[in-house]
Amino acid sequence: MVDQPDVTEDIHILLVDDENDFRQIIAKRLKRRGIEVREADRGEKALQMLEDAPVDVVIMDVKMPGMDGIECLKQIKEKYDLLEVIMLTGHADIHGGVEGIKSGAFDYLSKPIELEHLVRKIKQAFHKIQRILAEKEARAFKEQVQQQMVVAERLVALGTMASGVAHEINNPLAVIQDSAGWLQQILEKPDMQGIPRRDDFNKGLERINKAVKRAGKITQQLLQAVKTQTTEMADPSTFVEVDLKKLSEEAITLVEPEAALKNIVIHLETKEPRLSAWTDSLQLLQVLLNLLSNSIQATEEGGRIIVRLNAAMEEAKIIVKDTGCGISKENISRIFEPFFTTKEADQGTGMGLYVSWGIITGLGGLISVESEVNKGTTFTITLPVKK
Amino acid sequence: MFKTTSKIMLVDDEKDFVEMLSLRLKENEENVIAAYNGQECLDTLEKIQVDVIILDVKMPGMDGIETLKQIKKRHPLVEVILLTGHGTIQSAVEGMKLGAFDFLLKPADFKELTEKLTKAKERRKEQMERIQKAEAAILLRQSKI
Repeated sequence: MVDQPDVTEDIHILLVDDENDFRQIIAKRLKRRGIEVREADRGEKALQMLEDAPVDVVIMDVKMPGMDGIECLKQIKEKYDLLEVIMLTGHADIHGGVEGIKSGAFDYLSKPIELEHLVRKIKQAFHKIQRILAEKEARAFKEQVQQQMVVAERLVALGTMASGVAHEINNPLAVIQDSAGWLQQILEKPDMQGIPRRDDFNKGLERINKAVKRAGKITQQLLQAVKTQTTEMADPSTFVEVDLKKLSEEAITLVEPEAALKNIVIHLETKEPRLSAWTDSLQLLQVLLNLLSNSIQATEEGGRIIVRLNAAMEEAKIIVKDTGCGISKENISRIFEPFFTTKEADQGTGMGLYVSWGIITGLGGLISVESEVNKGTTFTITLPVKK
Repeated sequence: MFKTTSKIMLVDDEKDFVEMLSLRLKENEENVIAAYNGQECLDTLEKIQVDVIILDVKMPGMDGIETLKQIKKRHPLVEVILLTGHGTIQSAVEGMKLGAFDFLLKPADFKELTEKLTKAKERRKEQMERIQKAEAAILLRQSKI
């Protein structure tokens, strides 16, 4: 293996052998190489020690009184799937080594052991662990990206459908509005002033007007959201360099009165002296306001909201974290869908996060959410830093 | 001799919408006629003098923009107010460049509509008065010769 650096410092091992002299010498020599070594003289004790603090690699004698090495190995592998075990066997005891490998050992060495050989094996085992970890991470990342793609596809399809519906609904909405308006005009005529139950007519017509306005607002937002995803995405030439710290401060100032009503404090945290992104500042501000306003609504009296700015390689992250009521598992997968809301019918249209998603996608970024019920919610916006 | 009230034409393929908006405008003492597509609008214009047209952008067949082009070609002094949906706001901008007086987003607020209608009528009236004055001046000069 080429990419094995000759570093042994980060490796933690547990050495298990009932022969005290042998174990102590090996431990001492391994420590001299910079390896963290702990010792156990019996299988049972080894299991106990692992319970207290796990290690990367266990080196264990096959033949021990009480629980023998093979049994101990089986129990270790059952409990710690990432831990690797190297078995030590008596001279010419190939049988024990083979048995160990069958039970999941990384390899075996026959006594007397050559230290160089042992160190090499430890490193190999350690690298195997690291490789598995890296693969796991890569798999998780791939899964996350795929999941985001599935979500994106679904949202685009939903948006297309919803905007079609919005277009079609606008016409009958106009008819309803004008019918009600016409009746109101008639009611205002001088010869109509004395009609019976005049107030009831007015009340009914007023309700119709109010409902039409609400429906009109929804169709507007929907059409705007779909538009930002499709047309404006194609035009990054309108992007400017936006100072994310300033923009966040502006957003916080705008929602502060709302937060003050509930005694909520909003903190801006950043280690970067300056963090900019090439983007559309107004649209990004709209998203921040939306996220902050959601957070304020979800947070209890006296709670805390944190806006954190992070810089990574070619990305800038804006994180909005609250200590609010959180979002349940069933809801979190639908949170970016148009019309999805858990608020009362007249409190929210369920368009805010859908519009935000549309904007961020249109800006070439990503928006994601993590949440735990009763602990809080974290929204992360990732934007490309470069033009 | 002069027209006292302006004539307004409402052009939209949605019959219910045309009917209701006509009723409202008539309630406000406006003189309204209706057309249900671009071609009908142009045909009517050949027969009747119209001052202001309220024109829907999204119509099957000849759309609002094409109708607007034809109106302005044949009757450049007629004022046109466009009705447009949110998704087609771009076409409103195009329409303004083609000479439309103004535009409204559908569903339009009636108050806003009547305000814009009044302004369009005023402009049309002023324009017609200027033309009449100019024509009178020409007649005067000719009579002096």
